[in-house]
Amino acid sequence: MSATSAPSGRGSANPLGTLKRLFFPVAPTYLLMVIPAILLFTFFIMYPAVNGMFYSLTNYVGYGAWKFIGLANYQAAFHDSTVVDSYGFTLLFSVVATIVVNVTAMLLALALNARIKWQTGFRTLFFMPMVISGLVISYVFTFIISNSIPIIAGEIHFTPFTSSLLANQNWAWLGVVFVASWQAIPGALIIFLAGLVAIPTEVYEAASIDGASAWTQFWRMTFPLLFPFFIINSVLTFKNFLNVYDIVVGLTNGGPGTATQSVAMTIYNGFFNGDYGYQMANAVIFFIVTVVLAVVQLGILRRRGGVI
Amino acid sequence: MRITGTSARTTVSRRAMMKTVGLGAAALAAPGLVAGCSSSGGRTTIVFEETKPEVVPYFNNLVAKFNASQDSVTVTHDFSSSLIAEFVRGNPPAIDCDNYNLTTSIFVARGVLADLAGLPQSKLIDPNIQALVSQYASFKGETSVLPYSVAAEGVIYNADLFDKVGVSDVPTTWSEFLQVCEKFKSAGITPIYQTYGDTWTTQQGLFDYTVGGMVDVAGFYKELNAAGTNLGASSSVSFEKVFTEPCQKMLSLAPYFNANPIAKHYADGNLAFASGQAGMYMQGPWAVGEILTLKPKLKMGTFPMPLTDNAADTKCRVNLDLAIWLPRSQPQAQRDAAVKFLDYLMQPSIVNGYNQANLAFSPLKNAPPQTSPIVTGLQKYVSSGAFYQGAGTYVPITIPVGNYIQEMMLTGNVHSFTSTMDDSFKRLAIRTSA
Repeated sequence: MSATSAPSGRGSANPLGTLKRLFFPVAPTYLLMVIPAILLFTFFIMYPAVNGMFYSLTNYVGYGAWKFIGLANYQAAFHDSTVVDSYGFTLLFSVVATIVVNVTAMLLALALNARIKWQTGFRTLFFMPMVISGLVISYVFTFIISNSIPIIAGEIHFTPFTSSLLANQNWAWLGVVFVASWQAIPGALIIFLAGLVAIPTEVYEAASIDGASAWTQFWRMTFPLLFPFFIINSVLTFKNFLNVYDIVVGLTNGGPGTATQSVAMTIYNGFFNGDYGYQMANAVIFFIVTVVLAVVQLGILRRRGGVI
Repeated sequence: MRITGTSARTTVSRRAMMKTVGLGAAALAAPGLVAGCSSSGGRTTIVFEETKPEVVPYFNNLVAKFNASQDSVTVTHDFSSSLIAEFVRGNPPAIDCDNYNLTTSIFVARGVLADLAGLPQSKLIDPNIQALVSQYASFKGETSVLPYSVAAEGVIYNADLFDKVGVSDVPTTWSEFLQVCEKFKSAGITPIYQTYGDTWTTQQGLFDYTVGGMVDVAGFYKELNAAGTNLGASSSVSFEKVFTEPCQKMLSLAPYFNANPIAKHYADGNLAFASGQAGMYMQGPWAVGEILTLKPKLKMGTFPMPLTDNAADTKCRVNLDLAIWLPRSQPQAQRDAAVKFLDYLMQPSIVNGYNQANLAFSPLKNAPPQTSPIVTGLQKYVSSGAFYQGAGTYVPITIPVGNYIQEMMLTGNVHSFTSTMDDSFKRLAIRTSA
């Protein structure tokens, strides 16, 4: 029962058919598939977002009396050191973690694509971090970094690591980078492997006949052919790292002090501190920052020769 | 496609199927709609929320006794829900008994709590203690919260070590306090144990005690909030003007602290004090439980920290560890049942019994004194209203005052601390008093 399957020749003469084509330019079957998704998206994502944007102009705490305060929340957010520092940490962390993840995943993909023994076994091993929950990973790593490593470092008298990295105000963010990368590498790895597998072997044969070294093969052939996947990975991982929350909460809970408090964490905590409206303003700012960064990143990468 | 009876039949049966599914879902959902306020066989069920972990078994016991003693109300004890989430959903507990601090005072400020001034129990509360409620927030002069348990904190001392170094009476003036510290220092024992690693311990101990003993904390914050966005050199009060002297006194005590306090945390402090490594420890009754677990036979006492050479100026730090409130909008049946339970909880024998058993002080007028030797040193201050709520507790969580205090103790820079606090409060005023 669809307008497109109306018998040919009856189209323009059939008023029902014309009506259908006017109001349902898309076949009803497709509409039926898409409308539930649109409804869910609107109800669970659009509506709360717009709601939050509205309340960012007020001093609402989620219940009780409230009033409009215009852009006062935004004004305050730009001067609030807690907010600004959280952006600083989140951006630094995202950039470094994206680079670490992409480089490591690329190297691992090359290694796992080569003809090695137990290739499937190794691939399974390297995919495992992806299936473990972020909180579980961070709790285990907290224990390792705060307890096991200091003990081992103490035994072998390697002083830099005898105190927990996560308690160091200046370097705790490296611990977060490490754990977040550990979890994100498998995701990037899968995409790079898919890209590598798609490269035909004749290309390599031709290159080796021409006497290209391994590095030249990689830099002049593999990497350019992988570039679209590289774009996908870097944009996606960067966006995901901007939203980091569970890793930070599990590892340091924003500490020491507020050194590793991410933007998502600051926004979330605002709800429990009676700062809902204020943190909604922060959330709107964060949304704009994320969109701008994604557009800029995509633009730069496309111009450099991607086909995405 | 054939538009025949078959597809027509399919359409009808699909419609019928949808109808059945819809009705079935509605039938399943209906009981859920009336959950939370049910009355079965004449008994009204209400939710009593109380989340202080250490006393959950104590209150479970009280709830069971209440349920058994009458047959019109059944109380269920909720000890884990989030109050804020419940208010947002419009589903707060029928009656709540929890810590009253700046964050929970938001419920008062936004007017979502019922006015309890009409209840007879509101007249039983010591007015000095009732005044603690409005120091954080009030709503149109109503009595939004009834205090249930007052926790008092001061300097915990090791009674045996006091005897050992020859201190016979607790210090009541600043000079006496310094003399006690000197005696410990010459005996080679750490006078005061500090744990900068956990910022809250320095904030609620050294900072709150020092400021509270020298400044009218409630009055200060009242004027600070009144100054709003004009806070600074021209306003009547500011952190720079009022807190500089207390902060300098805090730093002056540094020679009497343990070595490397930044590496020490709450647990380290408890262990060190319990094992007799320090004579004095700036903590509250919550730490007493931990210390006694480590050393059950330790003899301890508490005295409020004197900050001037006039003993009459000394005040002790308090906080409302437990306070009762009812939500403003609740069905009449729930309100009546909650008031019945409140009547039971606020009976003097029950209130006083709870506080006696938990090293706390009863908020009722003419309550019997707390007999535990660990905290009797604070009794006369609590009874006479010579107390304050800690200066750090008036700071909203968005301003990390604990971190700022830690930085000040490490760098010795008082001006940086006070100006940061002034700037933070000024920025806060921009968006809260707009």
